[in-house]
Amino acid sequence: MPAESPEARLKQLTDHLDRAQDRLAQARPFAKSTQTVRVLEITRRVMTLPGGIEVVYARIGDLEQAGLFAASDWAHPDKLQPAMAANTIRTGSKEAILLECLSELRLAAVARGRHHHPSLTAEQATRLITQILALNLRLIFRQLTEAERLALGPLAEVVQSHYEFVARQIGFGDILEQLVDEIWRILAQRPVQVDHVKDMITSVAVCLSQPDNGLEGGAQFRGAERLISAVYGPTRGCQEDPGLQVYQERLETMDQPTLRNEALGFGRAMHDTGLVSPYHPVFLRFLRNRYDELISEALGLSSTGSDALACYRDLVFRLIDEAVWPETAQTIYGLAGLLERGILYNPPLAPALWRQINLQLCPAAIQRLGGESLNSVAPRVHLLAAILNVLGQPLGVGQGNNPTCQAARALSMWSSNDPDYLLQLVAWAARDNDVVMHFEGQAIHSGELVSALPPLTDVDPLSAVIVPHLDAIYHAMGRLCVGRPEDPHRWINPEFHGWWVGHGFAIAVDVASGQLQAYEDFLRLFYACYHPLYNGNNPVIHPQPAGIAVTDSAARFMGWHAISIQRVALDPSGAMRVYFFNPNNDSGQDWGGEVRVSTAGCGERFGEASLPFAAFASRLYIFYYDPREVPAQVQAPPEEVSEVLQLATTSWARDRQPTA
Amino acid sequence: MNQKNPEKGYVALLGWSLGAIDAVDRFDRRYVVVAPEWAEAYAKEHDIPFIPWDFERLNDRSYEIAQMLQDKGVDVAIPLFEETVEWAGAINSVLLDQPRLFGQAMLFRDKALMKRRAQLGGIRVGIFEEAHDKADVVRFLKRVNQTLLKLHGDPNDPIHMKAFDKAGCLGHRVIRTPDDVDNIPDDEFPALLESHLDGWEFAVEAWIHGGKIRFLNISEYVTLGYSVFVPATPELESYRPQITRQIEKLIKTFDIEFGFVHPEYFVTNDGVMYFGEVAYRPPGFNVFELLERSYGFNAYQGLVLAFDPKTTDEEIEAFFPQPVADATGHAGCFGVYPRRRVVSELQIPEETENHPYFEFHELNPPWEQKVTKRTAFGTHWGLVYFYGDDPHRMRDLLKHQEELDFYV
Repeated sequence: MPAESPEARLKQLTDHLDRAQDRLAQARPFAKSTQTVRVLEITRRVMTLPGGIEVVYARIGDLEQAGLFAASDWAHPDKLQPAMAANTIRTGSKEAILLECLSELRLAAVARGRHHHPSLTAEQATRLITQILALNLRLIFRQLTEAERLALGPLAEVVQSHYEFVARQIGFGDILEQLVDEIWRILAQRPVQVDHVKDMITSVAVCLSQPDNGLEGGAQFRGAERLISAVYGPTRGCQEDPGLQVYQERLETMDQPTLRNEALGFGRAMHDTGLVSPYHPVFLRFLRNRYDELISEALGLSSTGSDALACYRDLVFRLIDEAVWPETAQTIYGLAGLLERGILYNPPLAPALWRQINLQLCPAAIQRLGGESLNSVAPRVHLLAAILNVLGQPLGVGQGNNPTCQAARALSMWSSNDPDYLLQLVAWAARDNDVVMHFEGQAIHSGELVSALPPLTDVDPLSAVIVPHLDAIYHAMGRLCVGRPEDPHRWINPEFHGWWVGHGFAIAVDVASGQLQAYEDFLRLFYACYHPLYNGNNPVIHPQPAGIAVTDSAARFMGWHAISIQRVALDPSGAMRVYFFNPNNDSGQDWGGEVRVSTAGCGERFGEASLPFAAFASRLYIFYYDPREVPAQVQAPPEEVSEVLQLATTSWARDRQPTA
Repeated sequence: MNQKNPEKGYVALLGWSLGAIDAVDRFDRRYVVVAPEWAEAYAKEHDIPFIPWDFERLNDRSYEIAQMLQDKGVDVAIPLFEETVEWAGAINSVLLDQPRLFGQAMLFRDKALMKRRAQLGGIRVGIFEEAHDKADVVRFLKRVNQTLLKLHGDPNDPIHMKAFDKAGCLGHRVIRTPDDVDNIPDDEFPALLESHLDGWEFAVEAWIHGGKIRFLNISEYVTLGYSVFVPATPELESYRPQITRQIEKLIKTFDIEFGFVHPEYFVTNDGVMYFGEVAYRPPGFNVFELLERSYGFNAYQGLVLAFDPKTTDEEIEAFFPQPVADATGHAGCFGVYPRRRVVSELQIPEETENHPYFEFHELNPPWEQKVTKRTAFGTHWGLVYFYGDDPHRMRDLLKHQEELDFYV
């Protein structure tokens, strides 16, 4: 059989593609899927040939017209979520990956004005495709991880060429700018887990250092340089990223004023970004026993933190000696937060931390921490470092890619509210592989239940050790509630979290039918319990668990989700807002219908999400309150209640209105 | 959007086939789909005219559905699957007021009756017999091989066993030894036994209207149960006049006035044609799709024309192309069966993927690793489609696919 030239093959496959496209266009909407599969199959082969992506790009408008995206998740590009889209490439089925690539070609064509789209402007398309590219930046530079390469299989090459092509259409500069903004937006929430953020910063650094990246450099990347320097060269002494060994040697030759400047530089970089450079631990360990007086500055402490440091010197120094290594650099930020919060003045905390330092881990816990490794610090150290992070950043806890929002929320609550209890639970989980809680007087041991659960992915070491136990107990409590007529959260949450969770329970829906139930009363009660203008100007005293009906950017119901209400207060513009903690890793979400969760710029503290009171109420479906504190006369502004009602019934509660 | 023409017929499609519905929705006839209840929600969602019906077994309610369709003004019912052929017969005997149509449908549904009728009509068939249990099968195997003057120890000529009322290759077994007989489950009886004919097996698709053949296609089987392509090679096409006469005989014998038949034949080495069986519904292996690929006409729309009593001669002549002459190329497909006992992934062989004739495949990744042993001509795991100019290259290409692993 004669070998054909790639040009001849491309010509032939292009003919096949055009034919398949015609057949797709003819098919009625209900019969398109068969034809779509064929188009995708041919498209894949076209895209593997030189010039193939251009061929598909030239036809993308016609392919869309023919119905390629009809009835799929890509049918409405204006509703696409960049993060979801970016993820599809890594985790989707073969078909989904191809559709995603084609959808991105479509976005690029709309952005470049080559294709006019009825529901997407060129500006919207540009923003969307830039965000997607920013999230998959590594792919543009052909930096697939081994896992991604395996998962993509024969599609790996197609996907990488595709990204190169799209990035050339859009321009690297725009993508970088977007990515930098995105990183700052995430950092503004001060997450405990920052590995992926550091990965993204590395991508940016790689991109900027490519000689042929076609970038002008300069002002627009100032934000990028700050990020890169925070990780790779935060101070004078290491600004050109010389390597830890060289830096260590340099420190030996520095005098006290130079070292003070280094300390100030590290502190500033860390508090600016929430990121800790691996040079920082080298520096801090160098100071120990030589220049202990510079440690306060190296941690960037205020007078509160410095005072706590001075009072608990031995403990803090010991924590540094034990937990602070280049592999656990981020814990320095946690330690600083811990000192600033003043929680060491809580009498049980210091002894509890001493116990933790000496704690022997059981094999199960070691396994949950990824096992012993010769090349890295011990599991015990990882755990201790993570404890400092969680205590220092209670609102930085995230659930990772796990359906364990209740456990993540509980960790956050205990960290901010009851840190010595949290340390008790950690000791039980890490040493004894058994956590005990009581439900209505009955003891529940997690030890017998926990082994059946799958390991967690993408979480901090503290969560990795304790969340399986918490999850097991939470579910065991759920089983004890089977058969009760109402929502089990009513009984579980006060028992699970602590005495401070209100024993009054309000729920917006009837559990059996899922229909709204006395919804207006529910809303009025929420105003009367939580809104300072209607509850006698009382602040939220302890963070309270609450249940949210999560909606997507098209305001469609996605599921129930656990959050906690942190506080209710006026924002800088004078509007009343609910500030809450969302254990989801990124709280900045668009819940549709103008309900956009803010994470910075509306008076949020690090890690808080916020919404105007009415907007928040419109997604709320469970809250807790103290019945003794409900005002005698429940009052709520009728026009706001009807606004909330409107927001709810046009989103998650659309199909939940009781038939009278 | 095709405007529906109220002057033309109103058809009922019996059975759920998205390809058929799509084609008819794009055609100028009014239609309604009669199919099992599970399809109702989908039909409703997409505005497909729909009547839910349970085709499990023909019962006294057949008159009820016929009446329902008559009240709607439906002119004729078109069977899409083997299981709906007798329903179409029963319904059409009411709609067209021709009671014999029901009896005709029963002939199509019972392979033994079908063969006897063919034999009565002077059509040449192989040796056949009904089997009610395993003993019947062993006896038939022995008798056939005695007839062939085999000596003790000679390898047997195989016999074929087919379920009476299943479509195509479903329930079709090849039996060579009495041991093979032991593996037959009891629930496959009664069945039809046939002698094996060495020769060239092929199928015909014929659209009939007014008792005349309006389009006749010859589908060449490269290997039965694996692959087929259209139009056939010139060698097989050279039998077209003979084949046409055979089909005319079939039409006469089975008293077919309209509709569509899909018979299978053997040509033995000496050029004698043997009738295998005939179905009164669209063929498997997506032959309709292949016809559209090579001629450009939609075979389902052709089906509607052939069934609709209101179709005019001019209309039907304008619709169908000239056989072979009007084909733009040869379209074929290959049914994939995993060759290994344990498979973990779908991997299109590189030589197939890079072949200029390869168009696309409809194979799914494996959903179980253990491949069940094939006892009968079972269901393939999906089809691979080819298209090209040279019928011989097509034939050899399809044959060669049998030696490749698509699942590894």
